[in-house]
Amino acid sequence: MKRIGVFICECGPNIAEKIDIDSIVKEVSSISGVEIAERYKLLCSKDGKEYLKEKIKENKLTHLVLGACSPKQHEKTFIKVCEEAGMNPYLCNLINIREQCAWMTPDREEATAKALRCIRAGIARVKYQQSLEKKYLESNVDILVIGGGITGLQTSLLLASDARKVYLVEKNPDLGGMVSSFKSLFEGGNVKSVVKEKMEKVLENKNIEVFTNSEVKDVLGFFGNFIAKIEKDNKITEVKTGAVVVATGCSLFDPGQIAKYKYGKLDDIYTSLEIEVMNMGGRIVLKNGREPQSVAIVHCVGREEKGYCSKICCSYSAKFHDYLREKNKDVEIHNLYYDLCTSQFERGRKDISVTRISDIEEITEESGKKHIEYLTGDGKKESVSVDMVILLPVIEPGKNVPELAAMLRIPLDARGFFAEEHVKLNPVATSLEGIYIAGCVQGPKNILESITQSEAVAGKILCSLIPGKKLEPEVMVSRIAPSLCTGCQTCLSVCSYGAIVFDRENGICVTNEMLCRGCGNCASACPSNAITHKHFTSRQIYQELTEVLYPSRSMKEQK
Amino acid sequence: MNEEFTPKIVGFLCNWCSYAGADLAGVSRLQMPPSLRTIRVMCSSRVDPLFIIKALLYGADGVLIAGCHPGDCHYMKGNYYARRRFAMVKSLLEATGFEPERVQLSWVSASEGIRFKETIEEFTNKLRKLGRNKAAKKVFV
Repeated sequence: MKRIGVFICECGPNIAEKIDIDSIVKEVSSISGVEIAERYKLLCSKDGKEYLKEKIKENKLTHLVLGACSPKQHEKTFIKVCEEAGMNPYLCNLINIREQCAWMTPDREEATAKALRCIRAGIARVKYQQSLEKKYLESNVDILVIGGGITGLQTSLLLASDARKVYLVEKNPDLGGMVSSFKSLFEGGNVKSVVKEKMEKVLENKNIEVFTNSEVKDVLGFFGNFIAKIEKDNKITEVKTGAVVVATGCSLFDPGQIAKYKYGKLDDIYTSLEIEVMNMGGRIVLKNGREPQSVAIVHCVGREEKGYCSKICCSYSAKFHDYLREKNKDVEIHNLYYDLCTSQFERGRKDISVTRISDIEEITEESGKKHIEYLTGDGKKESVSVDMVILLPVIEPGKNVPELAAMLRIPLDARGFFAEEHVKLNPVATSLEGIYIAGCVQGPKNILESITQSEAVAGKILCSLIPGKKLEPEVMVSRIAPSLCTGCQTCLSVCSYGAIVFDRENGICVTNEMLCRGCGNCASACPSNAITHKHFTSRQIYQELTEVLYPSRSMKEQK
Repeated sequence: MNEEFTPKIVGFLCNWCSYAGADLAGVSRLQMPPSLRTIRVMCSSRVDPLFIIKALLYGADGVLIAGCHPGDCHYMKGNYYARRRFAMVKSLLEATGFEPERVQLSWVSASEGIRFKETIEEFTNKLRKLGRNKAAKKVFV
């Protein structure tokens, strides 16, 4: 037996002045199933909540319809009231008669009619709402960090504590990643404090278990309960974690792929990374051991081919000027670029001269010098002869990214980097809850941005995976009726979260409720009508639809 | 053409953008005709093509589906699915003799109260010109 209570909130003068509440109360009291219909001055107030709780208990109400403000404002408030009164909160329907009725309808009569219509529809819908149970799930708070570069190190240090263990996996023999081969950083600060000290701290930290020369072979499970397999020396270690942070960084485009740069064909043509390594060794020299008197820095190598700007090359090239001039202050440096994208750090530098080009035509060797022929920005043919050429190749995704993405079940973007869930709303999360991305794995980034992202990831994890606290997965999820499912897998193809899997044994699809976010896309895609989107079932929506359009048809049916 | 006629519009609004945009219109006290009957869904991709057809058969003069702008979907790409289904429904309506102008898909973000008001006003005026939905209440499915 359904015992429905209808309560209309006056919301101070907000609703009371615009809508004739008494007539609505009178009108709805006669609807079958409605046990009580009353008005109250302010339901969300302390007294209002007590009043509601009392009324629920007193009248043994099973369903609740509240005519008040937007669910976006107070749905949570009333969910809590229902819970405290011992009623299932999913049997409560909050009808928006303030924002979308009282406040936007100029005429009192029309507003009253609209409000009545909405409330009647709410009553029709609530009869078909089902009680849903919240689930609570034990979670593991440990973290797997893939990649021991600057981003991975920072994330590990932020997260490791006595209550939370971090497993840090690095495929190389040493931690530190790409940055450890740099002598200085264009953002300022020195590498020693930025990387070396972090490495030491990580190695000293008893709550961080470091796996070097290792690779993650498999990650199974979902947020709060992942199982990862880490391979080291052909031995597999299995660890249980609550979240996974992917910080595997990036690699550089191979200029050898473009013949005109003659990389690997002529001597004294280096990539930016080779210059960094050479500089770490003490000197930047030509193959014959002498210091270069003239250098050409060629920007945007591979930019055309890859189709995007890697945005930090211009900035870090400024640092090469310092490297070269430190040893030989008269060295002549030419910058050839297609598009310049410098950050605030280099904008003020007067000592760098640049030439805009539209194409490099050819690089040849003439009497020991590299002769570069290029077209200027306005199409003139010019050339320059130098001792050394430094190529700045675009940053591209690491070689193992496609396999890693397939293993983790997360998508890549058009450039081949890991795709964030939302560029503005959720920039470090991925489509799979509990898998986060930080640093260059998501696209070219400077160190500042990488560190910012690792802190963002740490923040996300610290506020969601709390030791001793259970997880509350989404309740309004989709459910596939096994008896109706034909196994066509349409739902599987439309799900953005990988929440639906195909059960081969039974030939049907199954929703993983832990991964489902409750958008309902699969429910409207299913050709067999086998999918129910809980709390937004087709039946509930039809009830609402019928009642808003054709009053009382649904009511009569139920009487 | 009857100026007094207020068409019945069923609006399927996505919870995250358009419903919030409608709320904002109310909070900003933007006044509009009471033609809209809102049905809140979590995502515009929840709108089953059947909902649209049923709404027209049940007596709606127009059906509005509103979701987040392309690229802004709370569920990553639900609005793209909504857009595809909408295109399908439109050609289906045309083929089966409905008036496809009676359905509309709009993108309204949570910050676009004014856009929401304009959408409702424009659609209402368009439907006023079209007159009552002749397919209404002819068939019940």
